[in-house]
Amino acid sequence: MQYLPIFTDLTGKAVLLVGGGHVALRKARALLDAGAVLSVVSHQFETDFHGWASQGRARLLPGDFQPAQISGHWLVIAATDDDAVNAAVHQAATARQVWVNTVDDQDKCEFIFPSIINRAPIQIAISSGGAAPVLVRRLREQLETLLPQHLGPLATLVGKFRKQVQQKLDNFAARRQFYEQVFSSKVVSLLQSGQPQAAEDTLEQMLDGHQPLRGEVFVVGAGPGDPELLTLKALQLMQQADVVVYDYLVSEPIMALVRRDAELICVGKKAGAHSVAQEETNALLVKLALEGKKVCRLKGGDPFIFGRGAEEIEVLLPHQIPFQVVPGITAAAGCAAYAGIPLTHRDYAQAVQFVTGHCQKDGKEPDWHSLSRPNQTLVIYMGLMKSAHIQAQLLAAGRAADTPVAILENGTRPEQRVFTGTLGQLAELIETHQVQSPALLVIGEVVALQAKLAWYGAQEPRAQLTPLHG
Amino acid sequence: MSVLSFFQQAGLNLRQFGNSFGSNLGDYIAGATRRTVPLPAGGETIPGVYLLGAGPGDPELLTRKGERLLRAADVVLYDNLVSPQVLALCRRSCQQIYVGKRAGQHAMPQAQINQLLVEYGRLSVTADKVIVRLKGGDPTIFGRVSEEAEALEQAGLRFAIVPGITSACAASAYSGIALTARGQATAVQFLTAQFADPSRQPDWHNYRYQYGNNPTLVVYMGLNRLNELCLGLMNVGWPGEMPVALLDQVSTDAQQQLTGNLADICARYACHQRGANPLLGPTLIVIGLVVSTPMAVSPALLKVPENLLQVF
Repeated sequence: MQYLPIFTDLTGKAVLLVGGGHVALRKARALLDAGAVLSVVSHQFETDFHGWASQGRARLLPGDFQPAQISGHWLVIAATDDDAVNAAVHQAATARQVWVNTVDDQDKCEFIFPSIINRAPIQIAISSGGAAPVLVRRLREQLETLLPQHLGPLATLVGKFRKQVQQKLDNFAARRQFYEQVFSSKVVSLLQSGQPQAAEDTLEQMLDGHQPLRGEVFVVGAGPGDPELLTLKALQLMQQADVVVYDYLVSEPIMALVRRDAELICVGKKAGAHSVAQEETNALLVKLALEGKKVCRLKGGDPFIFGRGAEEIEVLLPHQIPFQVVPGITAAAGCAAYAGIPLTHRDYAQAVQFVTGHCQKDGKEPDWHSLSRPNQTLVIYMGLMKSAHIQAQLLAAGRAADTPVAILENGTRPEQRVFTGTLGQLAELIETHQVQSPALLVIGEVVALQAKLAWYGAQEPRAQLTPLHG
Repeated sequence: MSVLSFFQQAGLNLRQFGNSFGSNLGDYIAGATRRTVPLPAGGETIPGVYLLGAGPGDPELLTRKGERLLRAADVVLYDNLVSPQVLALCRRSCQQIYVGKRAGQHAMPQAQINQLLVEYGRLSVTADKVIVRLKGGDPTIFGRVSEEAEALEQAGLRFAIVPGITSACAASAYSGIALTARGQATAVQFLTAQFADPSRQPDWHNYRYQYGNNPTLVVYMGLNRLNELCLGLMNVGWPGEMPVALLDQVSTDAQQQLTGNLADICARYACHQRGANPLLGPTLIVIGLVVSTPMAVSPALLKVPENLLQVF
């Protein structure tokens, strides 16, 4: 940042203005508006200066500028039409470490005056650091038309109640929520239509009768895709929510079930193309809940199985935002059921393990040995991109190449596709069939039962366990 | 109070209400307010055999599909792990057959269940009946679904498998223990410890401890073998301080939780069982670092409303 914008309190503070012409006059007005007491050095003074002098708001010092005049002043402004005088003022001020501004000479400015939009007590200062003054002027004009005149009275009114609000509402979130309500209430329209007393009465009533809205977050698992696989609890909460924050794994038919007037925010995630960083999603949930909203965080599958639901809840805790977690049908269970693959089986699989195909942050490899055990079912979430690596690692760790595998694309949805083969063909199967995400990889002896138990949707030809080529 | 506001206060989904009475009453009332959820019409359910997961206990964790099928069911074969509130969805004319089993006390051997299922399943062909085999949790995870499916397949009967919330997922949500958490567990493994048959003992070496790289273990039906389980894991290098949680009757009002570590959980469990409020099962065992950092979920928020039975 080239300049640090600060707002200074000049009330009753002495400011030295060198120059008595019309340029100096412009600066004098701004400074006097801010409550400064002026000392003005010049050979000649515009009429207004004499008026201010008689009111005691300015002291006139006729004659040449003397460096010693700087002492006792907080700010110095050089506003003469003589470059040599301006330079002398600048040099004298900087030597004494007093902030100095030289009108229309940026090199001799230790501070600058920004362009101002005034809706006191609200003030907006704009600067381009001298780079594009015309652009700044246009920007100011646009903002002037954008910001209604009653913004000032509104801020003043709210400021008047600030202490009372603080006494009544003891925490920041509650106060913030109250103000949010005020700013979208008729207090604003009353001020706009010039009824300040009615506005004040309304605000007072609002404060007296204020019942804080409790924001809440529901972290809800939406299941694998089939809208009928939503739980009753999930549906209920989707219907209560003011805002639904969802990601791309949540299918469209499911989104059609959320409350119609709820606000929808997509924080869609796709492997390799995160559209919203997790931190932003976390912050969004906090922000919405603090506004008093019921937020439904709708996630594909189950929130706690590779759903990062935990991270989203952790950020709620410091703000004491109430939350609930509703489990969902995790993709493994949903897709396996629809593909006719039992994940466990007395004879073929006494255990089932869920892993993610995503790399860990630290690049650590999973325990391939444990994943390669026979007689267990391995379900890999988000494993498409790494399928070749997964195949190679499992084979290297001793899993047999003829272990049955299934690739379940769009599981439980009408467009579900199921491909089966052997571990030795895994990557090839994905390549051949151009499998797209979301897809799940199931590896294990139980997959062999799929040919018998498949019941849902269009099935691929049944000769599934024979090699694809030769 | 108007009829409409009464229903709204009771938290009723009006369209559902209408459906459950086979009338358009719900539509009629709902018409006054905004659109409610279009639920699948009960009449559209195709005759067949449905192997249906009822979820872990909380009746609200039943899926919408589960609800539709139960409403349409002519026969329901159910076991112990299914909550009465879920069964209450069935029509009065629905025949409910208990084929219950519970660790250690099989009411009916699996072969007999299969046979019964096939017998009733035939009604789906001969009499266009909707037959539901209702199972606790998820049918594909330790639900022995394949045996029942194979029997149906051999009998040439049409069937479908409808997933349910498996207990591990509910346990996780209702206890705040994330099963996979960045930095603590990148995988989760579900296993069963119902190794009554000595020849079916797990090969413990497959579970050997990998420093900082072990999946979270969730053990189904393992409470009777808690001691063997803890010793088995410690014998293959798992540290005694590894946190363990016993989650009992997950997602029901009676849910309770006992935590400890591999070295002391057996003693804690024994001590707890002598107390006033013993674990009654079904109980899940969760083993892993994730147990030590649960999130502070409020169980009160998840409580099933009193009027739920009517809601359905």
